[in-house]
Amino acid sequence: MELLRPSSVEELDGGVFLHGGTEVVPLVREGLLRADRLVDVRGVVPRGVDGAVIGAGTTLGQLEVEPAIPDALREACRLAASPQLRNMSSVGGNLLQSTRCWYWRLGYPCRLHGGDICHAREGEHREHAILANGFCASAHPSDVAAALVSLGSRLRTTRRELAVEELYRLPDESDRRTMTLENGELILELELAPVEASVYLKAMDRKRWSFPQVGVAAARLSDGTVRLALAGVAPIPWLLDGEAAPGEALDAATPLPRTEWKVPLARALVRRALAALG
Amino acid sequence: MARLIRTEKEVEGRYEEVWLVVEEDPLTQWPAGPLSVVGRPAERKDAPERVRGEARFTADVRLPGMLHAAVLRSPHAHARVERIDLAPALALPGVRAAIGPGEASGLEEEAGYAGAAVAAVAADTFAQARAAVAAIDVEWEALEAMLDPDEAVRRGLFTAEPRRDERGDVERALAEADAVVEATYRTQSVLHNAMETHQAVCEWVGDTLHVYISTQFIWGVRQEIADALGLPQDKVRVVCEFMGGGFGSKNSPDEYTFVAAELAKRTGRPVRCALTRPEEHTSAGNRNPTIQRLRAGARSDGTIVALDGEFTNAVGWSGWNAPTEGPMRMLYACDNVRTVTYGAQVNTPPMKAFRAPGFVEGTFGLECLIDELAAKLDVDPLELRRLNYADSNEGTPFSSKNLEECYRRAAPHWERRHEVRARSDGPWKHGVGMASQIWYGGGGPPSYAWVRIGSDGRATVITAMQDIGTGTRTAMAQIAAEELRLPLDRVDVVLGDSARGPYASISAGSSTTPSMGPAVRAAAADAREQIEDIAEQRGLPRDAPVEEVVDLLEDAQILGRGARGPNPTGMSVLTFGVHVVEVAVDVETGEVVVERVAAIHDVGRIVNPLGASSQVEGGIIQGVGHTLSEQRLLDPATGRVLTTSLDAYRMPTIADVPEILCEFVDRPDEHLTNLGSKGLGEPPIVPVAAAIANAIRDATGADVRELPISREEMLRALEAARRKERRGAPAAV
Repeated sequence: MELLRPSSVEELDGGVFLHGGTEVVPLVREGLLRADRLVDVRGVVPRGVDGAVIGAGTTLGQLEVEPAIPDALREACRLAASPQLRNMSSVGGNLLQSTRCWYWRLGYPCRLHGGDICHAREGEHREHAILANGFCASAHPSDVAAALVSLGSRLRTTRRELAVEELYRLPDESDRRTMTLENGELILELELAPVEASVYLKAMDRKRWSFPQVGVAAARLSDGTVRLALAGVAPIPWLLDGEAAPGEALDAATPLPRTEWKVPLARALVRRALAALG
Repeated sequence: MARLIRTEKEVEGRYEEVWLVVEEDPLTQWPAGPLSVVGRPAERKDAPERVRGEARFTADVRLPGMLHAAVLRSPHAHARVERIDLAPALALPGVRAAIGPGEASGLEEEAGYAGAAVAAVAADTFAQARAAVAAIDVEWEALEAMLDPDEAVRRGLFTAEPRRDERGDVERALAEADAVVEATYRTQSVLHNAMETHQAVCEWVGDTLHVYISTQFIWGVRQEIADALGLPQDKVRVVCEFMGGGFGSKNSPDEYTFVAAELAKRTGRPVRCALTRPEEHTSAGNRNPTIQRLRAGARSDGTIVALDGEFTNAVGWSGWNAPTEGPMRMLYACDNVRTVTYGAQVNTPPMKAFRAPGFVEGTFGLECLIDELAAKLDVDPLELRRLNYADSNEGTPFSSKNLEECYRRAAPHWERRHEVRARSDGPWKHGVGMASQIWYGGGGPPSYAWVRIGSDGRATVITAMQDIGTGTRTAMAQIAAEELRLPLDRVDVVLGDSARGPYASISAGSSTTPSMGPAVRAAAADAREQIEDIAEQRGLPRDAPVEEVVDLLEDAQILGRGARGPNPTGMSVLTFGVHVVEVAVDVETGEVVVERVAAIHDVGRIVNPLGASSQVEGGIIQGVGHTLSEQRLLDPATGRVLTTSLDAYRMPTIADVPEILCEFVDRPDEHLTNLGSKGLGEPPIVPVAAAIANAIRDATGADVRELPISREEMLRALEAARRKERRGAPAAV
């Protein structure tokens, strides 16, 4: 295995990108990610906050103490992982993390791994999805992604610009990926939309250092639009339908026997998040 | 004088009749209360070494030429090896030896759980060993896997014969009772997760096997290895100077040690075999799940007239049938008690003792049931417990019991419940709960210690015991210092090596201090008497300071020896306590916050109040994890562990730790040894789950009967309580 340390976008030439290493290193070690070439992109990806633009290399630890960024994002960073992990992990990398589904992490031949069954649906799924879970019941773990989706943020990659929610896709029979990023495409910057108020609420199994059982991000943008996005409820960060009344948005939930408890929990957090927006 | 006696020996609630040679224990106990050194807070003697990283744990042992072993484990819950080919592993770079089923104790052809050891490889690096293990070619014959403990009981699949006990006539008492409650409680499997994983380094030095091992029982390891390898015991040297925790899971050597010993023999080099964290979660033991079907009956005046329990321990593929029924049999005065305890053999990872095995689970069931009974009778839960106070253990007198004093000291904390409940605001409901503690912890013989004093007036305590992280090294130094009238910093303790000291007790069953402490005091007293004799001959007062008496010794030394005397005959030696817990519950999101725990324990004399409060805090924190967030989950289809990482398996963080108030009755047990101390390792975890669950019921009216009380269980119980209320039955507050 080789490790490259390019210093400009022009030098990028394939390989598996590595920034803080908190996600990629464990995946490589467990054999879930094949990497003959690791590319340390810390010399390439911008970091720091400049007005509405956030370098994708900014760590969660930097963002949680940055007064200029909206509450939902700051709180999502603060409630993620542990201080040690937040000091290492980049906001761009956080958007790209894989599910914590234990079947996927233990290499079961599940649908996300190209197999033909979802082991979680029939098996142990107490922390799995309640929405869009027919093909794969995994739950997306990123607090930060839910916050950025609610905030209407956009991404600039080495190839294009897109809304954060466009980074994600639901896996299906013909394409098992949960992300639209192409091979060799690298997230460089995030751009925040003007926002009046925002909030992130998170339910965990313990007070800290836990992925969300349910995370709810809510934002009222400066044009008055209210956007709600959820973590831990679907295979990808879940933007609630803007047409439905917020109270009914979870009526479409299709919980599994042991994820039914997440529905009233999500409803309660949605209610509280909207109340907090004022 | 040495004496041969037939006595009952108890470890972790298991009794066996044994012959023991014991020595008399002629010393009278010290007066109660803090003395010069004993009973006063002492910082750990080894704190600087630990903080500087100088303390050498087994995980730090690196011997010249040492190889690393990795173990092949069964992916199947139940299977037999049809054919195994080690050749592909042996052909890989760095690989020095490989062994298969039958070639080391613990490597077996029949795998009874996913994670059972089958084969092992030694290589220059751990990565090479791991790669080689992956290359081993195995053909499995899959066998039927039994995962349901109730079904195992129906089919009569047990690891031991069911244990049945009855006193009185339970059915009649229940029929005549004014109030009867009946409920099923369930507890989950939790993992010990000691910071240091199970591991050993083995090296053959001539015909002697040196074993560096993270263990709770140096002498047990020595004997088991000698037995397994057919060696005289003195040809096995066991070393454990510093130890990163065990919680009951490191009482015996297990496959990793035998693998290291065999591979060391075949390669002529030291071999290290250390479990990884995922292996720790699949193959190093666990607290077994239980199902407890319980009934209790009482008269309207609050007298408990009947207790009835059917307990199923889902033991796993092997292990013992822990005394889950113990609290029901022992905690309350009740004439009619019937229990049956099944040890179901299922194809899941084997249980190992885990901090008060059986009693943690059984206390959760019993003490929640007692609160349900109190609600039905409309009697105050603390009052109900006092009303049914047991004055003997099924007729056998207690060597000492100060539970009544614990209740008395708990009363002010219990009284806070009115103001705590009044704090309820919006979705946050506040409440207070309590539970009692009963457990063993008397220790026993044999155990020995030596004390050596030179002309510099310093004393060294020498005994081949282990300090498993609880601070017993410091407590032993305090005891010797007290007896010798020396300041604590003039006493050293040498421990952790079977070649450098006499036999010492297992550190399990809350027995280290009560087993070792009296031996250390006896050794120090032996040395002190010699010093006093010398003082007299020098014309000094008998109690002259040690350094004044010994300054002309030159190369001569004072050598004291001491032994642990017998336990009192015809008496039950038990520990007692009570916890009062305050919780807050968010009834919309199911979040439970444990805010405050007041813990009052009766464990005889306290040697080091600082170390003792550490034990209580640790027990409570571990109990909070057991109660709220920890659970080992299995794939129901394959029986494989799913929570193999510390991400998926959720222990409490520092943010989850409540305010802890810790009090000790601190009265020496006048019948127990020259010290009057009982053990404290296990008692603090025993009442935690029940006290939290009772506080939750107080706050919300919801009956939580299943651990862990995750948001899932909390929201389910709240919904059940709402349905019950809609049906017209008042919620149980």
